[in-house]
Amino acid sequence: MIAQLSLTVLLAIILLYAWTACARAPIIGVSFAFAASAGFYFVWVPGHATELAEFVGIGRGVDLIIYLWIVISLIMLLNLHLKLREQMELITILVRTIAIAKSTDDARRGRQPAQGPAMNSPDDC
Amino acid sequence: MNSHSPDVWIVIAAYNEAPVIGDVLADVQSTGHRILVVDDGSTDATADIAANARAMVIKHIINLGQGAALQTGIDYALLYGADIIVTFDADGQHRASDIPSLIEALRQSGAQFALGSRFLGKTLNMPLSRRILLKGATWFTRLMTGLHITDSHNGLRAISRSGARALRLTQNHMAHASEILHQIARSGLKYVEIPITIEYSRYSLAKRQRLRNSIAIIVDLFARSLRQ
Repeated sequence: MIAQLSLTVLLAIILLYAWTACARAPIIGVSFAFAASAGFYFVWVPGHATELAEFVGIGRGVDLIIYLWIVISLIMLLNLHLKLREQMELITILVRTIAIAKSTDDARRGRQPAQGPAMNSPDDC
Repeated sequence: MNSHSPDVWIVIAAYNEAPVIGDVLADVQSTGHRILVVDDGSTDATADIAANARAMVIKHIINLGQGAALQTGIDYALLYGADIIVTFDADGQHRASDIPSLIEALRQSGAQFALGSRFLGKTLNMPLSRRILLKGATWFTRLMTGLHITDSHNGLRAISRSGARALRLTQNHMAHASEILHQIARSGLKYVEIPITIEYSRYSLAKRQRLRNSIAIIVDLFARSLRQ
């Protein structure tokens, strides 16, 4: 029961993640949603998981392996998400640096219109 | 901060806001402060319209999100000596007439942040679903930060130079509003809340937070907390 509840919480998080992913990449979102839904089903109806396992020629002991696989997959997914966030932070710094450098250059060349009182020089700061 | 005439910068993060940015800038220009539009990789004429309206424009070469654009604007304003930075939404929900009360609150209270609150002030045309969503987000933020705020996702705020220097937004998207409050809570910086008016239009409702975006905010904050 503890394992079932833990997996249900993890799968619910994946389902929410799937929903948010749908806006950016529908196929990824649908795939996640399908996998998470299948996970819910097999977690709460393990008998069908066994039947499926027998159907494809694998014994009941595979249940544990499936559960472990789900957990490992979730952790890998989370790890991937965190790595993507790290990459995004680096990209953000790069884009910000380019934006500020270009604008500063434009201001020095007099291309940037000033609003209100004259702009200070960055050297004054 | 200067004792008499603080250098106030109004920072507006804009992404594909061509239909409304001209009107928003016309309203904000009435304050007489410097205006900085951070064009967050728009594919429409947002940057050109802003430049024609004599606002300063800096451009992200790709779209990063409102939080990232605001941090870029804050960095730029600090670089050029801003004493007070006002963040203002580009979709026409805010009123420039609320800006003086935010600045005055900063000066009188000595706080680093003057946060606008629609629930202390007025909302026009606010759908019930939005009210429930924002009340829930505010309740959650109060629980997580211990701050007694009344409006956790209000984009209209004034920040002193010292407050802006203490801020470091890492949430590129809408979760930056929660992140600001978390950073205020953690650093012990002083804040005040000021009543403001927010007017919802069909345009702003279409662009703003849906339930899906709210969940994305929670995912972002959760992912961030895992790395801290």
